[in-house]
Amino acid sequence: MTAEINADELSLKTKGTTGQKATVAILLLIPVIVFAITPIYNFDGPKLFGLSFFYWFETLWLFVSAAFFVAAAFLLNKMEGDEK
Amino acid sequence: MNNIEVLAVFLSLFVLFVALGFSASRWRKGDLNDLGDWALAGRKLGSYLAWFLVGADLYTAYTFIAIPESMYVKGAVYFFAVPYVGMTFGVALITMPRLWKIARKKNYVTAVDMIRDKFNSRSLAVLIAITGIAAELPYIALQIYGMQAVLTVMIGQLVSSNAASITEISLIIAFIILAAFTFTSGLRGAVVTAVMKDAIIFTTVIVVIVLVPIYIGGFGHAFASMPKLPTGDTTLAPLFLNGFISLSIMSALALYLYPHAINGVFSTKSTKKLRFSTALLPLYGVGLALLALFGILVYGSTKALAMVHLYGAVTAVPSLIYAYFPPWFVGFAFLGIFIGGLVPASIMAISQANLLTRNVIKPYVKNLSAKTEARLAKWFSVMFKFIALAFIFVIQATYSLQL
Repeated sequence: MTAEINADELSLKTKGTTGQKATVAILLLIPVIVFAITPIYNFDGPKLFGLSFFYWFETLWLFVSAAFFVAAAFLLNKMEGDEK
Repeated sequence: MNNIEVLAVFLSLFVLFVALGFSASRWRKGDLNDLGDWALAGRKLGSYLAWFLVGADLYTAYTFIAIPESMYVKGAVYFFAVPYVGMTFGVALITMPRLWKIARKKNYVTAVDMIRDKFNSRSLAVLIAITGIAAELPYIALQIYGMQAVLTVMIGQLVSSNAASITEISLIIAFIILAAFTFTSGLRGAVVTAVMKDAIIFTTVIVVIVLVPIYIGGFGHAFASMPKLPTGDTTLAPLFLNGFISLSIMSALALYLYPHAINGVFSTKSTKKLRFSTALLPLYGVGLALLALFGILVYGSTKALAMVHLYGAVTAVPSLIYAYFPPWFVGFAFLGIFIGGLVPASIMAISQANLLTRNVIKPYVKNLSAKTEARLAKWFSVMFKFIALAFIFVIQATYSLQL
């Protein structure tokens, strides 16, 4: 097998405009950053079904993250075009 | 409780599970004498099956047993698993399609195949392959530990003596069956059974999280009844804030370094399907979050607490289910948790076998035919399962999460 992996040959360079790339970056970063800053959700109230904010917020944020990630995936797929 | 009924439901569903596992070899039939086909299910999974498969990697005894156990014993810091699974797929969404493209073009089966080419070093590849193999062993052992927890409760309630040795024999039998169908069906067996496993688990989690709080008088009651836990109860204790953040970020960066996660990635049909299934994976984490909360619900139930005191904190989830549901549902849920350990163990052993044949043996053996390579990998997958089983019998873990 060849030693070098040629990025051009494998079309690894992300296609798409700068605007599209920035949108993808924002869509991916928002869920990650919110999860990473624990002090913003480490509270007791408001409670939901008897659960403290700490627990229900993180659970709810999983749904929000999935929504952001799906949006990013659609955009990335569009940027990739029809190549196989 | 009619314990015979629990066992009957458990065993019937287990027979169905085994039948599915064996018949999977004929599903989307390919050339099972080829390593890429055996280990990657022919590389043609769509978004949803890939979602179940990677989900099977995530939804393991770690989720059903280790996290609830730790929540019960230590408290809030173990909820770190929720941000962890929320973040990890954002990372994967960017990195994994790139790895997929290289792998498809160069016909890679493991991530180490790429390392060898990229750094042009056979010895570096061997070292990383061995690291991967070693890292999977305790993870398989954790699956067995979880299966043991279910059997401990089920068999402990059924017989008055010799429960421990019956549990061990049952585990060995289950592993022989698992090894046989992994040998025959490869990753196909894991994909097909992963769907069954998750259908049972999702149902169980939803039923328990809705009904148990109603029976015990809400989460409020469980929180009010719990003692002060070392790392915090309703919120995280300030001392553990940094630990919580670093555990979740580091785990998020590490998940896809596990060799078995790569199997799921490489087995998808296209980058588009891979992205879509990866983006939806945080939803799987919702089940994990709810299961973690089972560790707290235990405190609201004197019945479940009594069982946990009898069988150990590792049985937090099985005890909670046993305490509140009719026998047929207990059998159903226990089987779900049991195969929730078996399916990931199968995927993990496949990934170890790939690494050993592909990256440790093949580079040093001339003229290794594709057929021999696949046959070797199948036997190694059997071997690794039993090494992990030996591991659990020799070393009895105190807390499953440390594995």
